[in-house]
Amino acid sequence: MLGNLNIRVIFEYFPALWQGFLNTLMMSGLGFAGAMILGIIACALTIQPLRWLRAPAVAYVDVIRATPLLAQLYFLYFGLPRLGILLPEILIGIVALALNSGAYVAEIIRSGILAVPRGQFEASMSSGLTYLQRMRFIILPQAIRPTVSPLIGQAIVLVKDSSLLSLISVVELARVGQQIALDRFMPVEGLAATAAGFLIIYYMLKALAALWSRFNRLPGQA
Amino acid sequence: MIRFQGLNKWFGNALHVLKDIDLDVAKGEVVVVCGPSGSGKSTLIRCVNGLEPFQKGSLTVDGVDLGAKGVALRDLRMEVGFVFQQFNLYPHKTALENVTLAPIHVRGLSKTEAVERGEALLAKVGLADRMNNYPSQLSGGQQQRVAIARSLCMQPKIMLFDEPTSALDPEMITEVLDVMVSLAKEGMTMMVVTHEMGFARKVAHRVVFMDQGAIVESGEPASFFGNPTHDRTRDFLSKVLHH
Repeated sequence: MLGNLNIRVIFEYFPALWQGFLNTLMMSGLGFAGAMILGIIACALTIQPLRWLRAPAVAYVDVIRATPLLAQLYFLYFGLPRLGILLPEILIGIVALALNSGAYVAEIIRSGILAVPRGQFEASMSSGLTYLQRMRFIILPQAIRPTVSPLIGQAIVLVKDSSLLSLISVVELARVGQQIALDRFMPVEGLAATAAGFLIIYYMLKALAALWSRFNRLPGQA
Repeated sequence: MIRFQGLNKWFGNALHVLKDIDLDVAKGEVVVVCGPSGSGKSTLIRCVNGLEPFQKGSLTVDGVDLGAKGVALRDLRMEVGFVFQQFNLYPHKTALENVTLAPIHVRGLSKTEAVERGEALLAKVGLADRMNNYPSQLSGGQQQRVAIARSLCMQPKIMLFDEPTSALDPEMITEVLDVMVSLAKEGMTMMVVTHEMGFARKVAHRVVFMDQGAIVESGEPASFFGNPTHDRTRDFLSKVLHH
């Protein structure tokens, strides 16, 4: 099947594929940045003691994790205009990705904080640091280390999930692949080109993770 | 300096961990608290810097009433150093950074001042050549000495020690005790939970024996070790002194 892959078609569509690749990269990048911000806020709210601040954050995480991204995407796509909010599709897509991944990011960061030994909280509390100082100097630096690899994992999931945005007619990698399939009746070529694009992004993220752990190794650790 | 009056603490509803504690620690006094595990001695000193809340009675530390609502725990903790059994050094910071962090961010010292003070203290506990090592590169005894220097760098009025040598290999216990002995001789107010009876004999002004959440007996080391009045104290001492 792959032996008689029509490479020429892929070259022909290269400008469109390149545009799709850049769009996927851009939307994923912005989406993940948004997810990190939302995730950190949601996590901060879930671990603090005031119930009326905690409840909405917990509800957000639960609702997002319990429902499919496709449903969330359509909900925003059809729901926002009815509230009088008119956004370009691409922006709706980025918001959906950020909202969706934010819930998972919140849980990942929370697990990192819970993994910091209790003694670290007690020691930093005993020396008179404020809550924010404890978080900033002692807890978060230790909490982030074990979360980097699951966060990169979540970023990889988000990149692949961004292909769903093709369903609200955002031009990204998967959409260009579909176009090749529909215009030229060459679905295999279209999908192969799409897959190659996603593979490149995947390896970029993996390299990033490797780079991070190389420069953030604790002394005395392998 | 520290005054417990009829202090009671429960974990949940059923577990009565501290029972009618009355205890005074004067300025410059060294009090050793001993007793079998589960007797409430760690909980007792954890109350002193507000790590553990209590339900009944009162506790005053350096003029601060810990039972009062909205008590400024942070201000109190600046004056009360705490040394943990498990050291609890910050693993992502060097020895010197561990020691200078709170003086800089809590006391508001300049970095130069804090480093100067920190280096002097690390030298005092015998770690002049280890300042830039991370905790994972230090032995248990060295880590505990860094932890003591970390507390001292805040220039506290009171030092609390919660079984500071229990997690150490035998050959490292002395190096930590030596630091504590010199601290006691300098006139620091100290409460020390420990099983090191040699330390108690040498520097304690008073030894307090606890069992099942209550203070059973307390006295000067000479009379406490030489002539304990309670059976439970005698029983305990025969177990910790005979090996």
